[in-house]
Amino acid sequence: MGVPALFRWLSQKYPKIISPVIEEAGEEVDNGDGTTTKLPIDARGPNPNGEEMDNLYLDMNGIVHPCSHPEDRPPPANEEEMMIAVFEYTERVVNMCRPRKLLMIAVDGVAPRAKMNQQRSRRFRSAQEAAEKDKAVQEYHEMMASKGQVVEGASDEKPAKTWDSNAITPGTPFMDILAASLRYWVSYKLSTDPAWEKLKVIISDATVPGEGEHKIMNFVRSQRQSPTHDPNTRHVIYGLDADLIMLGLATHEPHFRVLREDVFANDTKPGHCRKCGQPGHMADSCRGTAAPKEGEDKIVKPLKPFIWLHVGVLREYLAVELSVPQQPFAFDLERALDDWVFMCFFVGNDFLPHLPSLDIRENGIDTLIAIWRDNIPHMGGYVTKDGHVDLARAQTMLQGLAKQEDAIFKRRRQTELQKEAGQKRREEAKERRESGKRQRMSNGPSGFDETVIQRGARGGIRRGVDLAPDINALPTFAPGQAQTANDPRYQKPLTHADIVGEANAANKSAAAAMKERLMQSKNPAANQRAELDALFAQASNGEPAPVLGKRTRDMIDDAADEPSSNPSTPGRNTPNKEVADPLNRGTSGALGGTSADVDVMPEDTVKLWEEGYETRYYEQKFHVGPEDIAFRNKVAADYVEGLCWVLLYYFQGCPSWTWYYPHHYAPFAADFINMESQVVEFKKGKPFRPYEQLMGVMPARSNHTIPAVFHPLMTDEDSPIIEFYPVDFDIDLNGKKFAWQGVALLPWIDEKRLLDAMDTKYPLLTEAEVRRNTIGNEALIFSTRHPLYEEVASSFYTKKATTTPGSKVKISSKISEGLAGKMAKSDSYIPNATLEFPLPTSQDKFTDLEQNEAVTVHYHMPQFPELHKSMLLPGIKFNEPMLDYSDIQTTRDKANKSGRSHGGVQ
Amino acid sequence: MATFSILPLDRFVVAKTAIKRPREIAYFSYDDEHALYPLSDQSLSYYYPPFIHAPGEGEQHRANVSLSNGFETFRKHDDSINEHLDALLDTLAAYEDREGHVVKADFITWRGMMTKIMTAPSDMFNEFEMNATCFQGTIFLEEHKAAKSMPANNGPPRSDPHGARPSQEMMQYWGYKFEALSTLRKPWAEVSRAEIESRNNVIVSNEAQYCSIVTTGIGDTSLILGGEVDAVMGAKPDNADDPIPWVELKTSQQPVDQRDDIKYERKLLKFWAQSFLLGVPKIIVGFRSPDGHLLRLQEHETQKIPGMVKRQGQGTWDGNICINFAAEVLRFLKANVAGDGIVWRISRKPKSGTINLFPIED
Ligand SMILES: [Mg+2]
Repeated sequence: MGVPALFRWLSQKYPKIISPVIEEAGEEVDNGDGTTTKLPIDARGPNPNGEEMDNLYLDMNGIVHPCSHPEDRPPPANEEEMMIAVFEYTERVVNMCRPRKLLMIAVDGVAPRAKMNQQRSRRFRSAQEAAEKDKAVQEYHEMMASKGQVVEGASDEKPAKTWDSNAITPGTPFMDILAASLRYWVSYKLSTDPAWEKLKVIISDATVPGEGEHKIMNFVRSQRQSPTHDPNTRHVIYGLDADLIMLGLATHEPHFRVLREDVFANDTKPGHCRKCGQPGHMADSCRGTAAPKEGEDKIVKPLKPFIWLHVGVLREYLAVELSVPQQPFAFDLERALDDWVFMCFFVGNDFLPHLPSLDIRENGIDTLIAIWRDNIPHMGGYVTKDGHVDLARAQTMLQGLAKQEDAIFKRRRQTELQKEAGQKRREEAKERRESGKRQRMSNGPSGFDETVIQRGARGGIRRGVDLAPDINALPTFAPGQAQTANDPRYQKPLTHADIVGEANAANKSAAAAMKERLMQSKNPAANQRAELDALFAQASNGEPAPVLGKRTRDMIDDAADEPSSNPSTPGRNTPNKEVADPLNRGTSGALGGTSADVDVMPEDTVKLWEEGYETRYYEQKFHVGPEDIAFRNKVAADYVEGLCWVLLYYFQGCPSWTWYYPHHYAPFAADFINMESQVVEFKKGKPFRPYEQLMGVMPARSNHTIPAVFHPLMTDEDSPIIEFYPVDFDIDLNGKKFAWQGVALLPWIDEKRLLDAMDTKYPLLTEAEVRRNTIGNEALIFSTRHPLYEEVASSFYTKKATTTPGSKVKISSKISEGLAGKMAKSDSYIPNATLEFPLPTSQDKFTDLEQNEAVTVHYHMPQFPELHKSMLLPGIKFNEPMLDYSDIQTTRDKANKSGRSHGGVQ
Repeated sequence: MATFSILPLDRFVVAKTAIKRPREIAYFSYDDEHALYPLSDQSLSYYYPPFIHAPGEGEQHRANVSLSNGFETFRKHDDSINEHLDALLDTLAAYEDREGHVVKADFITWRGMMTKIMTAPSDMFNEFEMNATCFQGTIFLEEHKAAKSMPANNGPPRSDPHGARPSQEMMQYWGYKFEALSTLRKPWAEVSRAEIESRNNVIVSNEAQYCSIVTTGIGDTSLILGGEVDAVMGAKPDNADDPIPWVELKTSQQPVDQRDDIKYERKLLKFWAQSFLLGVPKIIVGFRSPDGHLLRLQEHETQKIPGMVKRQGQGTWDGNICINFAAEVLRFLKANVAGDGIVWRISRKPKSGTINLFPIED
């Protein structure tokens, strides 16, 4: 779910859910000739994070995107380089997690229709963006050529075209290469790295339908339903979407972590280009890789640090926050957690637009939690159960929200006006300071770029060389506007002991400091508080601290979190990222221009803060007259279906491949009526085939990802579906500031018309093209030295093997160390064959291996008649609690204070 | 008459008796009517406890579970009928038919008989009367029923003078109720939430049972033991040679002072011996209030209990002595219970220092 600012909100409200990842640095040996060789990390050693992990799940799109079209470094030259970038990044992630039992690599396959609408919107925007970028580069190239200069990185006369990241969609030739490369790499690692000897690897490539993270969830659910599942399995999921933590909660496996890049860290030295790492220019004027001059080392950019998000700790917070005194039925944390996840959906998910009155930046989730707490005693039970919504209770919640809706809109307007005024004041003040500052900056070339934020050694935020206190596990925010002002923990004065403690911490290595922190985990809040206090003390000395430069609060929220234009594209989410906003500002690296943006914003004619907004909203967004109240209720009923669909999708797996929310906008809370009598049922349907999905989400500009026979359908004037592929389309800002926050007004795809049109072309596909359009299997790969190999060899590769083709063999979970399911013979694996690098190669790191020592079989997850139940499993052992008395007290006080005035029934 | 002297205990301290890990060779089920089904696992139960109190939730959220609930409708098996070794022998016969060979062991008996022998050196109040007979080289051992039921059947039902203490029957019910609340008839994944959540309303019955029959060895003596197992954690392994993750379910009053701690430690002796003999690796204790409300669950690993008692407890008993002692008693019985067709009585009176063995005259 690409909810902007969700991750930020989570880590701010529940600070202890985050801790830095301790990563073993690879040793370097001097070769004696001035060069050094980096030794590979021996991942067999104990996990430096103090705890061993069992299973690592990779939501692979979070790796493929940044590796194939990085925004913080020059793009790879070709697909081979891309694949090697993917290998290296993946290897780093695996080495920091060190899964001891299982690695699952999940690439997005065809998505449910409900998701395709968002994918379509992203890809159309992305194509538009790429077109603009290419145009700008072309112009620059022509300008340089006219002066007789050659641009580095461009071949001959023509500039390199921006790689079309839309190729990262199931069914494209690129995904085919990716699948083959991943199988190669996994087999390569299994054959060569002793740390992988006991690892089972599952690859679910793009040929297996479903979004990557949801395929992972299906797998976890299938395992925990198996009687042999170890309830104390340590799970780690890598990915960039903030809602992975919610998926983690939804599994009801308490030993679950999310692993991700620290989006608040910066990997660029001040004064250096973020793209190429060279000093002397900024990213917006970077012209690609500059070859190092003779005698000069190539500048190697430091790697971005990673963080853990501990689902178990979030469970502790929520156990306090969601327990309501005098609740007339038994408290069930597992059920309460599901309700919490449900409430998060209202504020944003990939399948529904969020309700106008609920915004994550306005703590919309807190609003809902307050309503929920108020109503729990009267509702008589939880709102959801194992992925099903009790619509009568959901109606009660929405009624509570409806009561506040007008006030929320008015308050929002007030805040906006205040913010604009404040910003104007700051701009003027800054203007006054500028001249004097320019004087100082001219003294040296390495001017300190105030907009650069760095993570300190212990995961907190550091400002340049000027060591600001390290706010461990807290996200960045402008200290002058800290939302923690009401938090009693942060109001205590700085004590002498605090300062001493901080000074000691500063002298320690990251690992030592972390270790110490773990040792003292009984009261880790003390250190944190000291750091915060120091930061605030500093900040309150004068102007708002320049930690975040001149960016406004809004920009921090939006830019620092999920990139809203494409949440699955990482690399864009560094705080000082270039906001890709082709309509307003192009891809300029400048962070400023916000006031200009405010100025150029079209007038918001809906004016939610003024009476009569409902009528204006429905007239302008839906083109429906004020008298048509039934229409509003219909939109709400569609939205209810959406909520039910999303919840099932998260808790049980996709309930319908064909359902989608058929509007660009959400209704108001007040539009929901009689929900208790609404009957919601889904037809499971079938997933699209890869080419159908491609035709459903791609703009004509990306037609190179689709077999040529289909191209005319996208471009020919007399194509029966030509209107599905507009070149230009409107973006409705819908009250937001930036184009990528707005709503792309694309026509809906009519499934039947699309499939009918495509049917006429299917007979013209080549054999290879037909193959890419089929639904594939998950692959299970492991070393031939793994005890499981014996079973495979005797079942599939002996003369006596009696199994008929395609027959499945149950995996003994004792031999597999807990992996349940079935395996079947894969024709792509031939014992004792060589392992071939699947691309034309120009490097010697990843080459052919004479003997492939990894076996590949088809993997089938176990199937169960009953549905997933949101319950703990017997034998579970919880970790020592991370929250101390004061954390619990604070959380409880806040929760208790939030109720009553927020639309409760009383 | 032959006599085995229990005291002095120090002769059992040093020896190291070899133990053969119990392996299940067969099993049987009693159904809800207590009808016997040899070699059937239909009454196998799956452990799924009531999560009365998840960590971090705070005491105020503990579910209020009264183990007395449903006492009036308890379907209690009538144990006045002496069932002897019938079910065990019927099942072994069915097993021998199926496998086509005869099972051999020095002893065939219920697990309960061995528990009594094993706990004798550490429990001065321990008493038993058993019958033994030798047939084709195997000694069959069973409880001498009359002795046990005599005191219970005679005299008025015991009641507390203050009227506050729950009856023996009620306390027994708590144990069965706890089992009903902690088990499922099918694996968790195959049971609906509604069924799991309505376990408190199900009529408690102790008619249905799953009994495991194992081969094991203590010292140089081989045994076939049968005994009820409460539930399996997860599932029985595919490979019959692998250990089975059984759990034994117990209830016990939450100790509040040191006297209670000692009482609990003595109880642990029985829990341990019972589970040890059938190869049950885990014991789940449901601690309850004096009036039968479930307070918390605690998991013990069977094999760690003796060490725990020795190092952290009061040291009221010693698992090693129990095992060495049992090995010696078995050797003694093997040497003395002889002659086909003769029935022997093995008896130990409370606080007595000896186990007596004598033939019974008809
Ligand atoms: Mg029991």
